[in-house]
Amino acid sequence: MATPEADKSIDLRGTPCPLNWVKTKLRLEEMQPGQVLEVLVDGGEPARNVPRSVEAEGHRVLALNDGPGGVHIFIERK
Amino acid sequence: MEQVYFDHAATTPPRAEVIHAMLPYLADRWGNPSSLHATGVRALEGMERARERVAALLGAEPDEIVFTGSGTEADNHALIGVICALREKGDHIITSAVEHHAILHTATFLEECGLRVTRLPVDGRGLADPGEVRAAITDHTMLVSVMHANNEVGTIQPIAEIGAICRERGVLFHTDAVQTVGHVPTDVRAMHVDLLSLSAHKLHGPKGVGALYIRKGTRIRSYLHGGGQELGRRASTENVPGIVGLGEAARLAGGEMSWEAGHSAKLRDAIIEGVLERVPDVVVTGHPRQRLPNNASFCVPDAEGESILLGLDLEGFAVSSGSACTSGALEPSHVLLTMGIPRETARGSLRVSVGRDNTMEQVERFLEVLPRVVARIRDSSPAAHPALR
Repeated sequence: MATPEADKSIDLRGTPCPLNWVKTKLRLEEMQPGQVLEVLVDGGEPARNVPRSVEAEGHRVLALNDGPGGVHIFIERK
Repeated sequence: MEQVYFDHAATTPPRAEVIHAMLPYLADRWGNPSSLHATGVRALEGMERARERVAALLGAEPDEIVFTGSGTEADNHALIGVICALREKGDHIITSAVEHHAILHTATFLEECGLRVTRLPVDGRGLADPGEVRAAITDHTMLVSVMHANNEVGTIQPIAEIGAICRERGVLFHTDAVQTVGHVPTDVRAMHVDLLSLSAHKLHGPKGVGALYIRKGTRIRSYLHGGGQELGRRASTENVPGIVGLGEAARLAGGEMSWEAGHSAKLRDAIIEGVLERVPDVVVTGHPRQRLPNNASFCVPDAEGESILLGLDLEGFAVSSGSACTSGALEPSHVLLTMGIPRETARGSLRVSVGRDNTMEQVERFLEVLPRVVARIRDSSPAAHPALR
């Protein structure tokens, strides 16, 4: 999957659910509609839960890139 | 009669915006922030937003902020938590003799537990000497704790200088910044602090909530034991409405601090100048320049501070004598005595601490009322009538 250009990024590895989603949400609140946030989370539960909550709030998950250090989620703010 | 509040060092009125921000968390966002479901997450959102705002005010990272139940708890957590974490390193802590009782009594408790405590003196203006901190540090020193500004006389300590010495010597440094956060800049990086305590109600937030800044990587144990709240650093379900209120107070302070400090300093200077002019023999306590913008403190010889306080209260002015915590106690303030002020003079201590809602008209009225109140007390005091002594 192509890597979208991110306007902002945060590293939430080691941050448990649902705190990682809440921190993602607070960052998205500061951004403009259409801007892209890159979130780096641990694999497993966080990589499944954060995108689910993002979409439930109406934002768009552009890409989910699995890397050696974690999973990069690219989110377009609604 | 209009009540004029000149006791902002004791507590500050909560801002309307703070109350407004808290209300949803007392009503429909009542969830437990540790719960994984949506009700919990709504509370968690408010709490984490507050954490970011407090962190921003201190120039810290959000994860470096631990919410507590008060400034006193934050102080206890800092001292006891570090001592428990560094037991193998030594048996010695350094503090100043003019700290708030939240530090002084905790230090005494630690002494009773077998620790050695050095209490540094201050000069006549209430200032600690960084050179004395350097000289007091030994290989067994675990922590230095010096307050940012004194709650009674308002003297602001050279915290950045002390912090730099501690960092150079590899000793942890804590500051009780309860009087300064939200009133003067408190950038934790610039101050070289590892730990910093604050209290919401001193910056127009609610009571029952404070915070401890813990620099990333600092070795410290929990103070309250139980659940895994605050990432395992402080057990107990968080006071979410209070924390949200603190967050809003921090956000407001960040934007308005410089205006508020300027406004308060004008009133403070007018009070100091006016009192010196109109009350015979009065002494200003604290540092002439390095002092809180809202603090005017005095000693009025031949008059009990408590009597002045009560006399002013009857005239509609709320002030303090010494610190609010010691009002009512017969002993003069430990701060004034450490500064070398004679016991008799220290009995006439008076603290006037202004805030954002005070006006110059209120100050002018105060300056008309105070000399009358003092004269009345002096006239009826045994000191004025040697035959009655």
